[in-house]
Amino acid sequence: MVVKNNFKLIFSYLKLNLKKEYEYKTSFFLKIVMMILNNAFFILQWIIVFSIVDSIGGYGFNEVLLLWAISAGSYGVAHLFFNSAFSVGELIYNGKLDVYLTQPKNLLINVCCSSCSVSAIGDIIYAFVVLIIINATWWWYLAMIPVIIIGALVFVSIVLIFQSICFYVKNGSAIADMISSAITMFDNYPPVIFKGFAKVLLYTIIPAGFMVFIPAEAIFLGFNPWAIAILIAVTALLVVLAFVTFKLGLKRYSSGSLMGSRL
Amino acid sequence: MLKYLHIYKTSIKQERDTIIDTLLRAVSFFIIIYIFVQLWSFIYGESGTSSVINGYSLEQMIWYLIITELIVTCARNRLIITSIGNEIKSGGIAYKLNRPYNFYLYNITTFMGKSTWMLMFMFPIGLVMGLCFVGIVPTFTWYQILPNILSLILSFLLVWAMFAIVGLLSFWIEDASPFSWILQKFLMLFGLFFPVEFFPAWLQPVIEYSPIYSVFSGPAKLVANFSWELFLKVFVSQSVWCVILILIGIGVYNLGKRRVNVNGG
Repeated sequence: MVVKNNFKLIFSYLKLNLKKEYEYKTSFFLKIVMMILNNAFFILQWIIVFSIVDSIGGYGFNEVLLLWAISAGSYGVAHLFFNSAFSVGELIYNGKLDVYLTQPKNLLINVCCSSCSVSAIGDIIYAFVVLIIINATWWWYLAMIPVIIIGALVFVSIVLIFQSICFYVKNGSAIADMISSAITMFDNYPPVIFKGFAKVLLYTIIPAGFMVFIPAEAIFLGFNPWAIAILIAVTALLVVLAFVTFKLGLKRYSSGSLMGSRL
Repeated sequence: MLKYLHIYKTSIKQERDTIIDTLLRAVSFFIIIYIFVQLWSFIYGESGTSSVINGYSLEQMIWYLIITELIVTCARNRLIITSIGNEIKSGGIAYKLNRPYNFYLYNITTFMGKSTWMLMFMFPIGLVMGLCFVGIVPTFTWYQILPNILSLILSFLLVWAMFAIVGLLSFWIEDASPFSWILQKFLMLFGLFFPVEFFPAWLQPVIEYSPIYSVFSGPAKLVANFSWELFLKVFVSQSVWCVILILIGIGVYNLGKRRVNVNGG
């Protein structure tokens, strides 16, 4: 029942946020189209790279574009459903959580879903456009849906864990922003180029490995049920950790006595 | 001009408060350079016996990328657009219209200060990373330092002038950021990621005559493979584009400010 109610809340928020954004119709569609074009530029980047070499450690043009599809899709789902997760630190620091605290819903979900990014729709569309470009088989389209949802959960959870630092230190959100941009920097490149300490980072504090590399290698480019099981377990663990760190931090929260309303 | 010098100094002073933010940006800068080094080392390794690709050795390629990334990180181009856009959207520009400076030039000067501050941190990092990963540029000579600094200054000026024009589009449209995404990607693809020699022969002259060359490829190539002939070519191209873009910017601003409605209160 609780889970059902939370899902209802997430989708109600999405509907409301989209309605609000749709007020500015030109801007709404422009943002989506521009984001697709924006992402498409990177296809040209890889065309140039693969005109120099045939493959990078076994990763050819199609394989790299698959990484892009998973990355863009996960980023899109994260910012479409949980956009405010990326600015939770700012709310904490400015004492603006009060308005959410008074509402009878799960606080973290309520905060995270309170806004959406329209351009994220462009990211999600782009993920499927890439599948068309690389001539993917039919089941890749179906598999992409759970993969980008899991990717988004990993992404949002790690960002939230770092955003919760704001309960303790002033610049916590800057650290979270840095982690968030580091993930998007790493996850578009073939994992074979990273070695040693960088590889450790990609499966710990910058979990691009769980967000993109494992799904690509264990689901699309090969089949490894153990890796899939580990991926699901790590995702669940990160989600729980995000809730726990936020809840622990919340005990230290003190109101800014700021008058506010949500219309 | 003295007032703009004061604006520049004030901007640097204001940036002192953002030390943590700057240090985190430095970490991001380190990560990007690290990724580039890994990627291109792999590409040069995989490409077989050839140690030179399109006229660039691995050392020259890495230095090219360090310089282009230094420009894009320190120029704070995204911030120019949001800063100008927010002033226009919020109506805050109304308070600046009657001040004795040009709003467009004010913004460019402010960002000069912000970039100077960033350069103080990013330049040493880029230098140390370059020296540690690939060593000194094989063609390096001491007399190229001054021309390199001059071309970098002009390159920054061009980025600010270009992105400030996009920011000024907020006079006409709700949010100019989608245009900045596309402009950024043009700059990245045709300048930041690859030197002009990596593109098909028919495209190379188009890039060389565009401002992208003056912003990225020109100054970065001057570091990676200096010659006085190249310096002259880059310097002329940068100067011409600076004049053109600043004049366009002032024109766009003059047109746009007529659209501001100031209500008393």
